[in-house]
Amino acid sequence: MIKDTLWTLLAVVVFPGGLFAMALGLALKGVERRAIARLQRRVGPPLVQPFYDLVKLMRKRTLIPDTANRFVFLTVPLIGLAAMGVAAAMIPIPGFYQPSPLLGDLIVLFYLVSVPAVALMLAGSASGSPYGAIGFSREMAIVLAYEGPILLSLVAVALHAGAAMGQPIALNLSDIVNYQQQHGAFLFDPWLLPAFLTYLSFIPANLGIAPFDIPEAEAEVLEGPLVEYSGPPLGLLKLTSAIKSVVVIGLGVALFFPNGPDGIAGLVVFALKCVVMVLAGALLKAAVGRMRIDQAVLFYLKWPELLGVAGLVLVAARL
Amino acid sequence: MNFFSTAAKKSPWLYRINAGSCNGCDVELATTACIPRYDVERLGCQYCGSPKHADIVLITGPLTARVKDRVLRVFDEIPDPKVTVAVGICPISGGVFRESYAIEGPIDRYLPVDVNVPGCPPRPQAIIEGIAMAIEIWAKRT
Repeated sequence: MIKDTLWTLLAVVVFPGGLFAMALGLALKGVERRAIARLQRRVGPPLVQPFYDLVKLMRKRTLIPDTANRFVFLTVPLIGLAAMGVAAAMIPIPGFYQPSPLLGDLIVLFYLVSVPAVALMLAGSASGSPYGAIGFSREMAIVLAYEGPILLSLVAVALHAGAAMGQPIALNLSDIVNYQQQHGAFLFDPWLLPAFLTYLSFIPANLGIAPFDIPEAEAEVLEGPLVEYSGPPLGLLKLTSAIKSVVVIGLGVALFFPNGPDGIAGLVVFALKCVVMVLAGALLKAAVGRMRIDQAVLFYLKWPELLGVAGLVLVAARL
Repeated sequence: MNFFSTAAKKSPWLYRINAGSCNGCDVELATTACIPRYDVERLGCQYCGSPKHADIVLITGPLTARVKDRVLRVFDEIPDPKVTVAVGICPISGGVFRESYAIEGPIDRYLPVDVNVPGCPPRPQAIIEGIAMAIEIWAKRT
């Protein structure tokens, strides 16, 4: 029991949560910035630039505005980071790492993935800045819009995997991964195509990739909730968003395409899948402008929601 | 600690204050020197919207009487350590607005200026050279 607890703690703090997820997430950010630079025909920053930025922010002074709620303002970045550390430890790395069942199942993971958005909302509203308040309301609107489709997509996959394994519903992510490694990836299953597309459409909104980077728009609301942050708390918020990209892409890999070799090669293949997704995100980011918040909310309530419902109906019809 | 200071000096984030400029330098600065074509990002720079994220502050304009208090307030919101670059001739001497009743400048009466980039307006290459010099100073300060 104690040994299990210690291993779980190690998974949350060092690998694959905590330090490993931080390193991978920051490296992915570096790849993204470099890829955008190359798409714009320039050299771009070095790949390790996000690490430099983080170290720089950790050495700067922290300013707290008079109008801010001091306690919430300073604790919220820690809450987001902690949630993401645990969530990263719950993502299986196919062929290399299986999360301990002590950490929880798909439902817990779903809630943990939305914690950073809540943390960002709290950060914006606690900072006492009008830009923060606008960022807060935009973040809330877009979270309400994309949370429905992503839940439909997760339930569709869980029902499908459960039916295939003879259970009512499969909520254990390791089981879903193991099933796909034996019977082929869900990505190539036409019945799950709507669920996959729903998940794909959720990624840019959750990770703040254009055209859905509305809550943190630099040009309109000066990065919204982050506007009053400086120094180490800002660094933690940036770190949280870096880990979130690993968690969200890693969850997608686990749900739809976990196939790969065993051992260290499995880890490398997992990282490569993440890089491919980040490159696709960079292409999107470099190619399109930013939507208005009402357009984005309407988009999510129309198409991904429709796809999500269609995916769930398709899966349920075969039960 | 040495490793951390070398890492920190590679990440100077830029912020721009308009102290009553005629907008000529702002065009050269924000929409020419800071756009992808000239790629200040390869120096590690990132253009940020909030003064609280900034490390290097670029000031344009002769510091008019109306804008003086606001400029000083925004300048104080930039967390230390920071480096100041005065872009254009106006912050240095007042330029064509020199000795006007509406001008409180030159700007180094009120703010510590580290780098001057003269010109009316300066060329984008000159502004980028000024940023590169500011990074040298920033490396000593961080």
